[in-house]
Amino acid sequence: MPGIFDRFSNLMGQRDAILAGDGADPFQVRMDDVISQTEAIIAGKRTILCGTNNYLGLTFAPEALKAAHDALDAFGTGTTGSRVANGTYSGHKELENTLCEFFNKDHAIVFSTGFLANAGVLSTLMGPGDYILMDADCHASIYDGVRASQAEIIRFKHNDAADLDKRLARLVDKPGNKLIVIEGIYSMLGDKAPMAEIVAVKKKHANTFLLSDEAHSMGVLGRYGRGLPEEVGCEDDVDFIVGTFSKSVGTVGGFVVSSYPDFGMLRLVCRAYIFTASLPPSVVASATVNLGLVKSGGALRTRLMRNAKVLHSGLSEIGLKVASDLSPVVAVVAPDPQVAVAFWRGLIEAGVYVNLALPPATPYGYSLLRCSLCAVHTEEQLRKVVSIFESVAINLGLIERKVRRSAVG
Amino acid sequence: MTANGEPSADTFAALHELLGPLNKTGVDLKPETRFSEDLNFDSLVVMEFVATVEDCFDISIPMNILPDITTVKHLALAVEKIVKADRG
Repeated sequence: MPGIFDRFSNLMGQRDAILAGDGADPFQVRMDDVISQTEAIIAGKRTILCGTNNYLGLTFAPEALKAAHDALDAFGTGTTGSRVANGTYSGHKELENTLCEFFNKDHAIVFSTGFLANAGVLSTLMGPGDYILMDADCHASIYDGVRASQAEIIRFKHNDAADLDKRLARLVDKPGNKLIVIEGIYSMLGDKAPMAEIVAVKKKHANTFLLSDEAHSMGVLGRYGRGLPEEVGCEDDVDFIVGTFSKSVGTVGGFVVSSYPDFGMLRLVCRAYIFTASLPPSVVASATVNLGLVKSGGALRTRLMRNAKVLHSGLSEIGLKVASDLSPVVAVVAPDPQVAVAFWRGLIEAGVYVNLALPPATPYGYSLLRCSLCAVHTEEQLRKVVSIFESVAINLGLIERKVRRSAVG
Repeated sequence: MTANGEPSADTFAALHELLGPLNKTGVDLKPETRFSEDLNFDSLVVMEFVATVEDCFDISIPMNILPDITTVKHLALAVEKIVKADRG
């Protein structure tokens, strides 16, 4: 009788080959103590965290901690129920109202995670006879969501508005609604969508709507942190914004906001909203408070981008291949998965945590050491990160030691 | 498409040309060649290949039909169906 995991035997072989050799397993990192937003104890070692998506460093905001403690004491550790049953407390409604104000939209629906928000909304927004046109580099939650929808799914080339236009033009005689799905900032390389061009394409075609996942751009872009639509100045043209509390907002949970009439109907049809327990009150309270801090966080955004520049230019100058544009995601390309794992192990042993990202989860088949910045990283921490990257890369023969202007002796 | 539901030789020829550089297993490309078992395509290669076929024929191949396309012949038939629907 075949074993139930026999169909994964190829994958298991690849995993064993990639993880061969001594060192930590990059997919089983354990943090035994979290010292701050930027430091933790991993395998007994004080480690700089440079891959947490905690862009604004709000995970220890005193105001949010207090609100979470108060909610915990008043409402308990969990709701034990769905949003449509016993799982909606006053805090959940307050959070949705706060989101409406934050984004200047009429409706907001909070889900238990960002993944569930995408899975729930994308599986129900479009129906039979409709079309979803998604950027090819969209997140797994978007892929899973659209696969569960009854619409026809068409992928367009990553960040290619002309390709999107061409594909919409082929549907000109089809009566169904069309939904374009993009992300404000793409997670692996930190590149932005060409939103102005995509909005222009959307406006050319009838019955066409735009949904943008602002998971990585919320809190990062725009004067008030509303993401790429705010930065580009096209918020009224983005019909649906999906987001998460698990990055800049510093906790967990997902949401969708829109001013489309009757949008609240989704609460009765989104299975990912109905058939799962709602967020615990403490999480809801911290998200509500942190939304205010995101909005007023202009100084944090400035520090975040300053840090991004320090790391981006530091890693480029030592000769590493940095695949990302200047953004709070700095992705270093390794030649292959085995070298990427060795690189990652060298970094963790020297006290730097970054994300290891391997194909097929990466664009262009890249093997990536993916760093993400935090507004509260110090320049000293980032200089240390660059210097450790340099030592590890030299040991691996990826770069040569350079004589730098600042070097002594 | 011919009367007996067989894709045209031109469609096969075009697909064979696109498959050439991706044929890492070196199998003979036939209508019944399977993408997963014979050519060892993983999900990433499938997506890249679909994009090149879309460019070549100037069509969109919906993701929904991909699970039903396991052989070169299935793909040829699907391509011809879409081309016909698009151009009338």
